[in-house]
Amino acid sequence: MLTELYHRISYLLGRRRFEDDLDDEVRFHLETRAEELAAKGMPASKARAQARREFGSTARMQEETRGAWQFHWAEDLIADLRYAVRGIRRNPGFAVTAITCLALGIGANTTIFSVASAALFSRPSVRDPQSLRAIRIGGMSHAPMEHYRFLRDAGVFNGLAGENEEMQANWRSGDTTVRLYTVQVTGNFFEVTGTPLAMGRGIQPDDRDTAVVSWRFWRQRLAADPDVLGRKLVLDGRPFTVIGVLPQRHRTLLGRGFAPELYVPVSSDSAMVSLYARIAPGMTQTVAISRLKAACAELDRLSPPRRGKRADNLRIGEVEGVGRLLGEPGILPVAAFFAMLMVVVTLVLLIACANVASLLLARASSRSQELAIRLSIGAGKGRVVRQLLAESLLLGLCGAAAGVALNLFLGSLLANVELPLPIPVRIETQPDWRLLAYAAAIAIGSSLVAGLAPAFQGARAGLAATLKRDERQVAGAAWSLRNLLVAGQLAVSIVLLAGGTIFLRNLSEASTANPGFDLDHTLWASARLVPEAYTAPEKLASFSDTALTAIRASAGVDNAALVRIVPMNDEVDIGAPVRTDSQPSPVTVTWYQNEVSPGYFRTLSISLVAGREFQPSDRNAAIVNENFARRLFGGANPIGRTFESEPTGSLVVVGVAKNSSYLSFSDRAALAVYIPYGQPKLPGQHPSELNFLVRAAGTPESIAASVRSALDRLDPTAAIQVRSMRSSLTFALLPSQAGALVLGSVGLLGLGLASVGLYGVLLYTVSRRIREIGLRVALGASPAEILKLVVRQSLGLVGAGLLAGTALSILAVRPLAMFLIPNVSPTDPLNFVAVGAVLCVVALLATVAPAIRALRVDPLTALRHE
Amino acid sequence: MGERNELLPGTLYMLVLRTLAAGPMHGYAIVKRVKECSREGIEIEDGSLYPALNRMLVKGWIHAEWGTSENNRRARFYSLTPEGRRQLDQETAEFDRMVRAIQLVMRNA
Repeated sequence: MLTELYHRISYLLGRRRFEDDLDDEVRFHLETRAEELAAKGMPASKARAQARREFGSTARMQEETRGAWQFHWAEDLIADLRYAVRGIRRNPGFAVTAITCLALGIGANTTIFSVASAALFSRPSVRDPQSLRAIRIGGMSHAPMEHYRFLRDAGVFNGLAGENEEMQANWRSGDTTVRLYTVQVTGNFFEVTGTPLAMGRGIQPDDRDTAVVSWRFWRQRLAADPDVLGRKLVLDGRPFTVIGVLPQRHRTLLGRGFAPELYVPVSSDSAMVSLYARIAPGMTQTVAISRLKAACAELDRLSPPRRGKRADNLRIGEVEGVGRLLGEPGILPVAAFFAMLMVVVTLVLLIACANVASLLLARASSRSQELAIRLSIGAGKGRVVRQLLAESLLLGLCGAAAGVALNLFLGSLLANVELPLPIPVRIETQPDWRLLAYAAAIAIGSSLVAGLAPAFQGARAGLAATLKRDERQVAGAAWSLRNLLVAGQLAVSIVLLAGGTIFLRNLSEASTANPGFDLDHTLWASARLVPEAYTAPEKLASFSDTALTAIRASAGVDNAALVRIVPMNDEVDIGAPVRTDSQPSPVTVTWYQNEVSPGYFRTLSISLVAGREFQPSDRNAAIVNENFARRLFGGANPIGRTFESEPTGSLVVVGVAKNSSYLSFSDRAALAVYIPYGQPKLPGQHPSELNFLVRAAGTPESIAASVRSALDRLDPTAAIQVRSMRSSLTFALLPSQAGALVLGSVGLLGLGLASVGLYGVLLYTVSRRIREIGLRVALGASPAEILKLVVRQSLGLVGAGLLAGTALSILAVRPLAMFLIPNVSPTDPLNFVAVGAVLCVVALLATVAPAIRALRVDPLTALRHE
Repeated sequence: MGERNELLPGTLYMLVLRTLAAGPMHGYAIVKRVKECSREGIEIEDGSLYPALNRMLVKGWIHAEWGTSENNRRARFYSLTPEGRRQLDQETAEFDRMVRAIQLVMRNA
């Protein structure tokens, strides 16, 4: 068997050669025979004709020979599919319903698949990504430029390039200054990575003040200017020349949808870059590591590291695929999130399959006469099963095609969504072989899931019909299977809806939740200053003082303060042992740390339970929150006490602030320490980035324009963004929003599909029982009694689904707690009541039409019906 | 090709396998050889030989290779594989049994 399969497959692969061989062989045969005849004295032309005549039809022979190699089932399949097409054409309503159900299920499923695959397996736009490697030395993601240059010239790799991803630039365009997200790259970056361009050229060594712009930036900000090459952009006060435009489908090395607007050359020697290397063909990982180690040892000798050895913590990682994924830190929660989504959309697909299965069951039993005829004229049972399966395969393929179309549509919608994240991220999905393979797999999978039971049922019904000539007697089995399917669908949609409801409640709780500071009157104005213009700290300090005074003087402004970290948008946390003056043995705690200027607590209306705000003269002072005070000082009055830790030094407590939210709404138990603004710098913060929080007498919107112009007047090169504190919460709300959106819409989709299933099965039952209903009416049954027939079945199905679904969802929603704010409980009974009520309403709607159909049965026509 | 040359059903494979047992041979030679050995009693139709050879190739009973024929042309030579030899033995035994059985019936019935 296996050798046969092997031979057949090698035939398929070498088809062309096979045909040539066969031709040669026949020619040889004919010529040899003709020669033999000629040798016996026959004239050459006559001999050839004779040989040909003896051989017979070469075409038929070739056909038969080919047939020896081919897969017969493939031909049967094509015949079955052709038959299925005809059957489906005869019944377009059935086909449209089934294909729509599958298309919705497969569309939702493949879209999540596309997003997951884009997020996890994004393939960067570079030449030959297999030989490109991400390099880390000394455990650092970025290396200083001088180390980069040393390694580049050490000749370990076929090329070493560097990029600094999260850079920004202020673009002066007309009267406004806009903040752009840029990637600074080394001169050889485009050459080493082989990044393709749509227009112009990449950045080259010795380029100064040149820029390669993204497709989107070119289209939207530069109005798709056809003469964009050579155009000047004023960035951070200097003119840059546009030399190239990236293609629409550019994907960065950083991946995850990161979508910077510009690539510019590395501007200063103090820059840090992450390293990407081209390894020589055939160079193994071990060789690469050992050569990099040697180079690092040499680097250590020339420029001794502060601690450890650079060679001790090397990484040469892949830039695409699973290899990259495994090397990436923090990938687990992201993968878990997508796994949850995949489970959810697979449930929806199952509901859709159940609908199709239910439709096919109905069709099979109404076709039992036809199937009986096929069986009695000699078709095997297996043959009939295969033929019925071909029909569901056809439906599956059509559904998958429509589903992929839906996927492309949703993908183009998603690409235009601007996520409220600190860096520009776009979800760019695109059709690739992975998607096609996946869609084909689920098309076949769902055909089998939806088609197997109906196919066997159909064959059985056909057999029964040959014997009994009465289809109704076998309808019972199919009927109960359909009921089971519908109850299952309802149960699964309850689980989905319960998940969606929980996220919706979480969203509404979070949107109305009090973060512990005032959202109704507060405004956040951020200003990114050109770093080169503010290298001196005094200049920065004097700018921020002037700006604060100018803002406070604007009309409608109540108060204003500077803050390093804007709450609910970013955070710096410190975990360290802390000593207090009363307790010399240290306690290790983790706290959020922030730098705030005088007036911060008044601006945000965070009340101080003890002590006072900072004053300009404060040195080594701290304001702590209630949690911190309680944890470190117990019940004692902490004002005037000191605490110290390695990162903060010794600080005197001057005030205790009420607890509030710092990064998320679930922060109520968090510890927090505030220190005066502009003293010791917090790690990782841009000194040229200023955040002003402003308190308005009226609405924050009313002062937005005047705050912006006050800042713009002071420094027109600064990129200024102004928004209300309430709208800045979008980042904190993103997880609940995304969860509510996805689970809610998927839950509604599931419910819609399940109600179609319920409707279908009720209508089917009514149409099956028309004669019975007619008889009942003829015998004097009242409309109420007829109605009871339909409603009883509907109630039974809904009840069973409701019970099973609620039981299932109580178990299934528990893990969702990790995405929720503390005062939303995933097992709140109210959720289940709400979901049950929604389901009952929808079920009622689905029952109306079948009930009307039953009431309209006219006894005379019904009895004459058969 | 008159009626007298009609092959017993199911014997084509066996005849071809037996013929190839003598050594590698191309298609035309197989036809000739069968004709000679049967003293012109059996003539394999050219049109059914090649499909049969290909079916046996698929089953792995025979193996095909290009070579040069006695008249110096490129020809495809078929040879038995070990599996083909086993098949030949099996079919021969089966055939013998059947022939004996038929003879018994013809004589004794």
